Amino acid sequence: MTEFEQQLTRALERREPSAGFTSRVLTAASQQQPARPRWQALRWALVLRVAPVMAALLVVVGGALYQRHERVERGEVAKRQLLLAVKIAGAKLHDAQQRVVSIGEIRAAGIEEEQ
Amino acid sequence: MAISAAQKGIADVRSAAMPPFADVVEIHKAMVFSIAWHFLRDRALGEELAQDVFLELHRHWASIKSPEHIVFWLRKVTCNRCIDVVRRRKLRRETSLEESPEPAMLERVQDPLLSAYLQRMVASLPERQRLLVVLRYQEGMEPEEIARMLSMNASTVKTQISRALELLRAKTAQRLKTQREGEGDD
Repeated sequence: MTEFEQQLTRALERREPSAGFTSRVLTAASQQQPARPRWQALRWALVLRVAPVMAALLVVVGGALYQRHERVERGEVAKRQLLLAVKIAGAKLHDAQQRVVSIGEIRAAGIEEEQ
Repeated sequence: MAISAAQKGIADVRSAAMPPFADVVEIHKAMVFSIAWHFLRDRALGEELAQDVFLELHRHWASIKSPEHIVFWLRKVTCNRCIDVVRRRKLRRETSLEESPEPAMLERVQDPLLSAYLQRMVASLPERQRLLVVLRYQEGMEPEEIARMLSMNASTVKTQISRALELLRAKTAQRLKTQREGEGDD
């Protein structure tokens, strides 16, 4: 070390802070909360970052499930309506058939009487 | 079970090696305050900064591993805080050493006065150089150690320190010359 560097070392020697510094620090330290462990801070950061994504995902999945449910429900209603229509049409056809048969029988009976 | 026993063992070793927080403040207060004081040249601000550094140490006490870690941590945080303070508050205008005014006082360049003069000159160095000079000559740290602490290249640290020294030496030599000429005229 050169003489100049030694002078610089002397000029920059350590100094003490004012009296009562330690007690001031200790008083302030006793009043403060210790920092949360890093993993805890990371966990909260993760929760805060993930929460909106999860909420958006929930909305999208919920919406898709609701739409699917609606579609199935509409299908069921249409199926019931179709079955009812088929049943009504069947009944009508049956009526018509009965009429045709009875007309046929009446006619056959009339012919027999004429003979 | 084995892991928790091992962790307990590590914690026991740590608590045996670690001094109490109050002792740490007492032992290292001069170091922290002096770095801040030589960097900022403001006693009140230096004490405030030193207090903040110790409070931060108290908050992170659980993560401190050893007495050596305490010293490393305190120096690093103090340096970062000093730079933050200067940048945030614009406490000091950036003036180069060549532009900085000579001390107004007519002083004979004797040792105590030379020390005061050198302190003023160091305080007028650019931020980074000032910090490196304080760590090198106040703390007696090796350039490699400083480089590791400040995440810098060791050769950059050496270059910056030698540049700062060159400037300081030139300025002091000029001052001594002026002084001698003044005495010769008398």
